[in-house]
Amino acid sequence: MRRPSSPLTVAVWAVLALCPLVVDDWNLGLLAQLMIYGIFAMSLSFIWGQGGLLCFGQALFFGLGAYAMALTTKGLLPGVPASALVGFLLALALPGTVAFLLGLALFRGRGLVGPYFGIVTLAAAVIAERLAVNWNYIGGFNGLLDIPPLTFGSGDGAIEIFEPLPIFLIVFGAALVVYLLLLGLERSPFGTVLRGIRDNEMRAAFMGYDVARYKAASFAVAAAVAGFAGALFAIQFAFVSPAILGFALSTEVLIWVALGGKEVLLAAFLGALVVKSVENVLSDALGQYWLLVLGILFILSVVLLPRGLLAPVFRLRLPRGLRGGG
Amino acid sequence: MSLIFLIGLDATGYVLALLLVCIGLVIIFGMMNVINLAHGELFLIGAYSVVYTQSLGAPFWLVLIVAFCLVAFIGLLIEQFIIRHIYHRFLDTILATWGISLALKQAIIVIFGPASQQVVAPFAEPVAFLGITYSSYRLFVMAMAIAVTAATFLVLYKTKLGLTARGVIANRQMASCLGVNTRRIDRLTFAFGSGLAGLAGAVMAPLMSVDPQMGVGFLIPAFLSILVGGAASPVGAIWGAAVIGTSNSVIAAVWTPVIAQILVFSLAIVVIRILPNGIAGWKKK
Amino acid sequence: MLTVSDLRAGYSRGADVLKGLRFDVAKGESVALMGRNGMGKTTFVKALMGCLPHVRGSITFNGTEIRGLPPYRISNLGIAYVPQGREIFGDFTVAENLAMGVIGKPLKVDSVDFVFDYFPILAERRTQLAGTMSGGQQQQLAIARALVGRPQLLLLDEPSEGIQPSIVQDIAMTLKRIAAEEALTVIVVEQNIDLVFRLATSVRFIENGLIKTGVSIDEVRSDPTLVSRYLTV
Repeated sequence: MRRPSSPLTVAVWAVLALCPLVVDDWNLGLLAQLMIYGIFAMSLSFIWGQGGLLCFGQALFFGLGAYAMALTTKGLLPGVPASALVGFLLALALPGTVAFLLGLALFRGRGLVGPYFGIVTLAAAVIAERLAVNWNYIGGFNGLLDIPPLTFGSGDGAIEIFEPLPIFLIVFGAALVVYLLLLGLERSPFGTVLRGIRDNEMRAAFMGYDVARYKAASFAVAAAVAGFAGALFAIQFAFVSPAILGFALSTEVLIWVALGGKEVLLAAFLGALVVKSVENVLSDALGQYWLLVLGILFILSVVLLPRGLLAPVFRLRLPRGLRGGG
Repeated sequence: MSLIFLIGLDATGYVLALLLVCIGLVIIFGMMNVINLAHGELFLIGAYSVVYTQSLGAPFWLVLIVAFCLVAFIGLLIEQFIIRHIYHRFLDTILATWGISLALKQAIIVIFGPASQQVVAPFAEPVAFLGITYSSYRLFVMAMAIAVTAATFLVLYKTKLGLTARGVIANRQMASCLGVNTRRIDRLTFAFGSGLAGLAGAVMAPLMSVDPQMGVGFLIPAFLSILVGGAASPVGAIWGAAVIGTSNSVIAAVWTPVIAQILVFSLAIVVIRILPNGIAGWKKK
Repeated sequence: MLTVSDLRAGYSRGADVLKGLRFDVAKGESVALMGRNGMGKTTFVKALMGCLPHVRGSITFNGTEIRGLPPYRISNLGIAYVPQGREIFGDFTVAENLAMGVIGKPLKVDSVDFVFDYFPILAERRTQLAGTMSGGQQQQLAIARALVGRPQLLLLDEPSEGIQPSIVQDIAMTLKRIAAEEALTVIVVEQNIDLVFRLATSVRFIENGLIKTGVSIDEVRSDPTLVSRYLTV
């Protein structure tokens, strides 16, 4: 058994928290973007690493959240106030509900045979992307531009947040909260049952757990978190487009999480940060070769290090009650 | 009347094209239990091999053979260096083939560039029959799809090699204990399924704009087809392509392609829910 | 013909079922391997066939070391295997099942028809799906499928399992005849003493992963305590 590494985990968050003291505004903004992807990666890590459900279309939920936020704050949803708070609520509720219903449809009764889940989610994301491209009300191919920044208060006293530092702090806080919530969920009885289902679905069912409900619920949680990341994305980038709904982003997040390590939240989070940073540095130099290198790296890690590159370092001990002997 | 006939012919064409793509997919999925997400890119390589060999002035029939052999060889390499190590880790085979798909597509972009290429059909004269005129090459593609499917069935059910492959699928350990080199069969099956993808890409290339994204377009309907039809046997590919292809082209003709995709996807989920083993699995019961 | 020494094998690392087993069979012998459940009989034949992941020690067949070879190489050296539960291909016809017995063999086999002489029922049912036949018929098919590859050594794991007694007698007689006419060496894992008496020339008793005693079939007949010592629970 590897040594637990909770000090390292705390250190990572501490370093991130201290970044504003040493990092300039430009890079602070960049780091905030990366952490949004990191939150997104944690959502996939939860459903895949804990639930064993390999979702190939996770960007569907990210995009749903982003569009929900964009449409709300731009006042394009009739009867819905143009407020960021409502936007966040919708960005959590809409993907969560879609995932829960899709989950129930797929897992109820005899349920969908494992691998089919990946194909179905992939198909859903690709089709959603095509739908968004062809739906002019939500911006069609060009997407939605000029999404207002996060605003507190209203009227003359309203405070708009577009400086890098407050954005960084908000995203950092969001990432930490999401991390702690998902970690808590992992280490709760719910998480234990989920891993039980992941390892042996039949046995969990025999023990009386409603497997379909657990899977659908965890799928919904992951989708809501992805939607939340999407909403943050919409605010920070001030635009959304069909590309964030579909194939390409779904692929990217899969790579971040697989390379980082699907079973450890922080590893998935850092996987996104590291891959994206390296991409920022190298994609100019390598051009088209960058994706080729990334693809090959990904294959190698799947075959040789299926648990990911960072997971062994950031693995945490199980809660006291769940530790086995030795 | 002739319009309906024309729509019917288009639908048939789409169904058969889908079948052509599915048949290699279902061989690898149904027989080796590997969901090959790189199938679209193997298709792509088949199409690009037409671009390349045509530029050298090779005759079309030779182009088809080259496409099959080249992609079969690539499949052999993929099996030998990657898939072989992860047969027992099912989800990882999906991930690995996903990575392969990414790498192959990017390799194509590096070699041929991201722009779309034009491929000339070896013959395109419209033929007139039963009151309509129709592209002769489209008719040729339909005939090829039927021929390839028939040939696949012959190999599987009428040859010793096919019997061996089916035996390995039914009971790998027993087949090995009877003296069958199962590794060899794995390699051959994967190469054969890959080669069929390449052949499909080559045959379809003159009908499509050949660009690095073309593989993805067929991948989703193809996968839905084998889920709906049943992945366990090649018969499933026929059922699936028929159901998905027909509903897709009919709905697209009546409404729009996007609505068709959404409806067909929902239909596929309903069918998979009711018949988890697909149409072929249900017929067998 | 077959020499096994210090054989250690199991289904997972560190949990050996066979604990340094020694075993010899001479050409032409028909050896019955007897012992209680869980003593390692099936593990032993699987280890011989190369079907287990963690096998150590030495297994030589006609002077060739076969430990560590994949099952198909072992099969092609001349060892045939009739596993517990028969494992016929249920969706294949009888003829296709027999074809599977020769298809991987390096030498061209002229005809498989000679097995119909031993098992006439299979000739009648050539085109029937094997999965639809009775247990006894499936057992005959499994034996025939092993024979068509012209092996020198035949491994049988519990051929009497789940088959009615009168058929077991028939199968035992036929096996005896086959062993003689095809010059086969036989190792049969069996709990059915009746079949052992009809088929075997000698008996080895296995206990806790080791061969405890090797005696001729006549000694077993004259000393019933042997059987009760190693077989009753």
